[in-house]
Amino acid sequence: MGRQQEPAAPRQSPAQPSGWVEKLKREMYVRQAKVERKLSIAASKMTLVGQANAKVKVKAVPKAKAKVKVKAVPKAKAKPKAKKSPKETKAAAWSQGHASPRPAGLACSKPGVVEVKQVVKAQKHPNVPEKRESNHQKIMQQTIQSNLECLLCLQQPEEAERLLLLYHSSPMKRKLLTIGAYNIVMRSWARKGCLHRFNRVLSMLESAGLRPNLDSYAAALECMGRGQACTKIIWRCVQQLKQDGFHVDELFQKCLFEGDEKETVLRAIRIVQPDYQLPPAPKPQTCKSALLNGFYSKEKVVSYPKLDFSAQELRERFQQQLEMELNSTITIQSVESTKPLTPQALRARKQLAALRAQWRGAILQALQKAKHNMSQKRAMSGYNSLYPYLCLLPDEEYVDIMMQILNTLSPQGESLSVLARELGSKVYDRYLTQRKLRSRQLEKVQEIYQDYIHLLAKDSQPGEYLPREYWEKLVAEAGYGPSLRLKDCSWPYVLLMRLGVYLLEILVHSVKVPRNTLKPHLESRLIPVLYHIYSFRSSWQVGLIKPHPIFSQLVSDAAETTLTFSSSVMPMLCPPIPWTSPHFGAFVLSDTKLMRYVDGAFQHQQLLDQCPQVNLHPVLDALNQLGNCAWKINQPVLDIIISIFNDKGNEKLDIPPPLSEAPKPPVTPGNSSAWHKSQKHELLLCKKKAAEMHSLRMDALYKLSIANHVRDEVFWFPHNMDFRGRTYPCPPYFNHLGNDVTRAILLFAEGRPLGPKGLDWLKIHLINLTGLKKKNSLQERLDYANEIMEEILDSADRPLTGRKWWMNTDEPWQVLACCMEIAQALRSPDPAAFVSHFPVHQDGSCNGLQHYAALGRDLIGAISVNLMPCSVPQDVYSAVAQQVEEFRKKDAAEGLKIAQVLEGFISRKVVKQTVMTVVYGVTRYGGRLQIEKRLKEIDEFPEEYLWEASHYLVRQVFNGIKEMFSATRDIQHWLTESAKLIAQSGQTVEWVTPMGLPIVQPYYRVRSTVLNSNMQNLSVKSSANTNQKPDTVKQKNAFPPNFIHSLDSTHMMLTALHCFRQGLTFVSVHDCYWTHALTVDVMNQICRQQFVALHSQKILQDLSKFMLKKYCSPSKDSRAPWQKKLTEQLSNVPETGEFNLTKVMDSTYFFS
Amino acid sequence: MSYLFIESAIPQLLCWKSHSREIDFKNMYFPLPPPPPFIGPGILTRTLLNAGVRVVALESHSAFLPNLQSLENSLDGQLKVIYGDFFRLDPLVTGTVKPPAVCSDKLFELLLHTIETDVPVKIFGILPQKKERNTLWRLLFILYECSSIFRYGRVELNIFISEKEYKVLTAKPGESRAYQALSVLCQVGCEIQLLHMEPWSSFVTNLKNKGLAVSKSMWLPNDHLCLVRLTPQRDLFSEGLKPTNSATFIFMVKQCLAKRKSRLTDRLNSWSLDNSGQLLKALEIPADVETGNLYPEDYKRLFEALQNSSVFTESWFHDEVLESIRNINL
Repeated sequence: MGRQQEPAAPRQSPAQPSGWVEKLKREMYVRQAKVERKLSIAASKMTLVGQANAKVKVKAVPKAKAKVKVKAVPKAKAKPKAKKSPKETKAAAWSQGHASPRPAGLACSKPGVVEVKQVVKAQKHPNVPEKRESNHQKIMQQTIQSNLECLLCLQQPEEAERLLLLYHSSPMKRKLLTIGAYNIVMRSWARKGCLHRFNRVLSMLESAGLRPNLDSYAAALECMGRGQACTKIIWRCVQQLKQDGFHVDELFQKCLFEGDEKETVLRAIRIVQPDYQLPPAPKPQTCKSALLNGFYSKEKVVSYPKLDFSAQELRERFQQQLEMELNSTITIQSVESTKPLTPQALRARKQLAALRAQWRGAILQALQKAKHNMSQKRAMSGYNSLYPYLCLLPDEEYVDIMMQILNTLSPQGESLSVLARELGSKVYDRYLTQRKLRSRQLEKVQEIYQDYIHLLAKDSQPGEYLPREYWEKLVAEAGYGPSLRLKDCSWPYVLLMRLGVYLLEILVHSVKVPRNTLKPHLESRLIPVLYHIYSFRSSWQVGLIKPHPIFSQLVSDAAETTLTFSSSVMPMLCPPIPWTSPHFGAFVLSDTKLMRYVDGAFQHQQLLDQCPQVNLHPVLDALNQLGNCAWKINQPVLDIIISIFNDKGNEKLDIPPPLSEAPKPPVTPGNSSAWHKSQKHELLLCKKKAAEMHSLRMDALYKLSIANHVRDEVFWFPHNMDFRGRTYPCPPYFNHLGNDVTRAILLFAEGRPLGPKGLDWLKIHLINLTGLKKKNSLQERLDYANEIMEEILDSADRPLTGRKWWMNTDEPWQVLACCMEIAQALRSPDPAAFVSHFPVHQDGSCNGLQHYAALGRDLIGAISVNLMPCSVPQDVYSAVAQQVEEFRKKDAAEGLKIAQVLEGFISRKVVKQTVMTVVYGVTRYGGRLQIEKRLKEIDEFPEEYLWEASHYLVRQVFNGIKEMFSATRDIQHWLTESAKLIAQSGQTVEWVTPMGLPIVQPYYRVRSTVLNSNMQNLSVKSSANTNQKPDTVKQKNAFPPNFIHSLDSTHMMLTALHCFRQGLTFVSVHDCYWTHALTVDVMNQICRQQFVALHSQKILQDLSKFMLKKYCSPSKDSRAPWQKKLTEQLSNVPETGEFNLTKVMDSTYFFS
Repeated sequence: MSYLFIESAIPQLLCWKSHSREIDFKNMYFPLPPPPPFIGPGILTRTLLNAGVRVVALESHSAFLPNLQSLENSLDGQLKVIYGDFFRLDPLVTGTVKPPAVCSDKLFELLLHTIETDVPVKIFGILPQKKERNTLWRLLFILYECSSIFRYGRVELNIFISEKEYKVLTAKPGESRAYQALSVLCQVGCEIQLLHMEPWSSFVTNLKNKGLAVSKSMWLPNDHLCLVRLTPQRDLFSEGLKPTNSATFIFMVKQCLAKRKSRLTDRLNSWSLDNSGQLLKALEIPADVETGNLYPEDYKRLFEALQNSSVFTESWFHDEVLESIRNINL
């Protein structure tokens, strides 16, 4: 708390106080006033301002970073009132505590509360409501609701009601209960058919001033149906429902049911309305987007491509996938070579096995004891208790989860927060799986899937539906409707972490190992296996959990050959479940989110739920299509990679060497403390390198082992997307977005003949992968390939023993794979008929700038990014470098020293990174650092001019880009400014892509919650509440790049859908499109068509209209100056240039 | 006595406001002439020179060198100017040290030792605001290692630091906001004396926005610039605590004080220490004490007692210590 002192007589010297000091004083007083306010409220029980935090163990800590951006002046200008009120506060605050009157001139007769309220309002921007407290409140609401759901799942209605009553009985605490909470408890009783108890909860709900909603009625009818209530009661209930403005049909259209709830409700209704029929399923809607008119029109009959499997085969695969997911984890063989088992390894394995058995017992015991203790204290506990969460699964499953964490812990340790999150998430995932099983959702999914695959199987009928359409049709026919979806039961992030930390503590305290395991001559005292240590990297402390070296040594001696993963990490063995809504798709059992987000931010989910579902159809269809691509393993290449991996690895070829190859520290005699600083330093570097090597090695091990495990299978990667619409495959370790090694092992499962031009494309693709001939035309690349055919064939035939031409290319492994494919094609009797599974890539050149140039119709810019047809590919980096060189020459001629010094140093390489990141909104500061790095790498460049040169160059690069892409910079500036004003007005930036996907930028001022545990205090950042202020800086800086990303993902999805319609195989890695060699030409045409179609829309105008409607609607107080400014800014769409967009159709090098 | 003078780093420029102000440093009295507020470093150099002491000035920014060098030429031998940055003293790189980084032994060659007291050199300087905490840590590290400038004896540091840092250095156990690892290590390692406090309002700067780049402090008062004298303790090193194992001591203190409410026994036990209860009893430390409530001297005694146990000789502990040093020096 601040110092107690007389405000009228500061103890500083009376010299003219500087503005900053004034400001600091003000802020100290305001803070003090707030503290005083809280105290006074607690004392006088006034509830006008703020809320009392009842018995909270979780402290909410506003992010207090001591960075000063002294902006005293602008704030004072905008709100002249603000200056006065702190003085009033001072008076008010003091007048509450002190009896003596304050100096004249300050009114202090009013009660403190009113004035304090003024202060609070005046400090903030008029449009941002002061809702800091309610973030915490929201978390507590969610936590209580999650607790109740657990109890519902555990079938403990008594407990649930007790918990509800705990909060209901106090008017203060009642605020923490939403209608959802009451509904859950009512459902618990409904499941038992206990009408009497149900009614008690209903009356609680009504006494809280709430009205029953549709879910409440559904629960009521279920209770009546199960409890066999008499007709009169049911009839009265239905009447009540109608009086409240609902319709019986709505129950079946809007509510989600589990298990047999729907049938029970129907039964109840039929008692009073025997002829009641379920409402018909809603008619399927068609997306009306202008861009997809052609795609969705039913005028032309289209037949979508099928997979090369029979229905029976697909059904079997589904069973396999289901089994794998039911087991939660899967254990596979690692690819590390089976060295003969040494006696040492045998001994270590035995010891490890014995220890693991012991540990399981110890953990189980500790868990049970902890639970027992908790259950004793239950009467006292409120929402804080973790007890329900520890009862959801059988005890052994918790032990399994904890053992899994222990077994996969790297010797370098892992941060406590990551481990806690993993533990919490694993429990949550298993809980969801269990719910899906219990609610019989799985049965229904199975049923539908059996029919769904007829769409995909080669020997089955329908072919004219999109996967999503067909699934929806089947669901509607089966009458399942909303019961295929579980009610939302997500746990708040903070809760997940708390659970994780709790389990982690049990783990750390229970697993012990005898000290003399490796050195029998020591005493056999038990010491902990895991220890907790703080690491002080990066100016903050991070708590780590590390394994004791005894354990790490034992594990490495044992050289175990199996790896265990969770099932959702593996590629799917059957085609994924199609996305039909933001909640349902991808894996069979594992819960997948349509949109990835971090830290529990659920703004995206809300946005997706609220937008008309038909708008999401194109996005869902595109994701389904990407997910339905079947893959297989390129076995010869995989084998070569594994052989090198098991040998000594090869850093140049990107295959991480084993730890035995790590640099050894120099052996120095004597006690470590006597070592010289530099020796210690060297030792540290060795350790650092070893740690890096280990993590790279483990990464590659997982990847290769998974690939090896599915080497004979066909598999699929379900996809989802990030908040901007960019798509990613769900399985994280092994997928086509990986590095060179990963991509080289993948092939399309489906093969297509090469056709007349396929072989040429393969050759061009090969040369593209080598990185040579980037500036040459396609024909020249083809000619080159033919020139070096000898080398290609040699690489394909004798990869490790021949001339190894492939090793010196940009992407050696993909080059090798391509060489082999070409060799096979050439040697086949008819290359045009050779069936190829090889993906050919077409890359956009600097795709972000391509979109910018199209948006702005920049003529010069368009040429440099290949939007204009040209006989050779244009390279924007060289073009910018050239422009910068021109500027430099001019300046040098005029005598500018630094321009003269830079003669001969301006190359493509120096400017490349900066130009690339201009799209991402690199600032002058960041750009200068990049250029400085490049210049530093040039040995001949004089060092003393580094700083000056990089400053000069970054200016010139930005100028150069401005020259060539003048409209681009204008657009960027317009976007940034708009975002800044929107964020400053207290709102987050939102927009809708031309395809209809709503997007919101999730950057809020982060609220940290501190979790106290015995081991350490964990600060959990969560941006879970939309009531927080947006992070202005991030909102404004990230808007242009995010907007462009959303455009490039739209382009990709449009291309994907239209390719699908024409029967092509299509997958993408952001701006790199893949297809069979046969269909590259078709894909190229579609890609350009869709680009033109996309940018023929008035994208910026539509954006401006959308934002004006959203942020400047006339209903808001439009007189405020900031409102006017925002309106003006948003209307001021930058002008565009002269470039004729349709030229893109003929540009060969647009994507090549 | 020789004085080593360190100029503060750009962009922070301080200057005294007009009208004469007398700063009474203990045993030193500098009447400031009433000049117009002149902007630029060197004000303290000039002050010391006016008082007749020999000064070696270390200037890190090349733009201000010419000024100081002309001053050097005008005096004869009283002032020596070196282009260097005190805060890049003895960097951990191999090869020749390029200015403005400085090598301490070269530096000390220029200073003449007096043998009267065993405090051969007094260092005077203003810590740059942004790097205050980091600089204090570095100074403590080299103090405990007895390396760099402390190789030449118990060099006395007279530094201007902000009030909040001073509060941290002198914090007492139980002061939850202020008491931390830095407090313990500083109090064990040095005698801390507050020489003078000057309110920030006495200063103006030439920064664009007319504010001082003084960090805001939420929990500790920060209204003054404090002149603090740190004198290394005569009896810092002992049987148990030596310059060679001091890194371990620092590590131990940091780990303990990362969470001030954790129990000391829990910490010790998690490091597989045997019979921590017995150990604490022998040291007369209560068994359930929290780490944030333990006095600095007790930490030192604890460390010395632990030398006999096997904890610190465990290899993994040793590795952790090594790794933690890396972060400060690089």
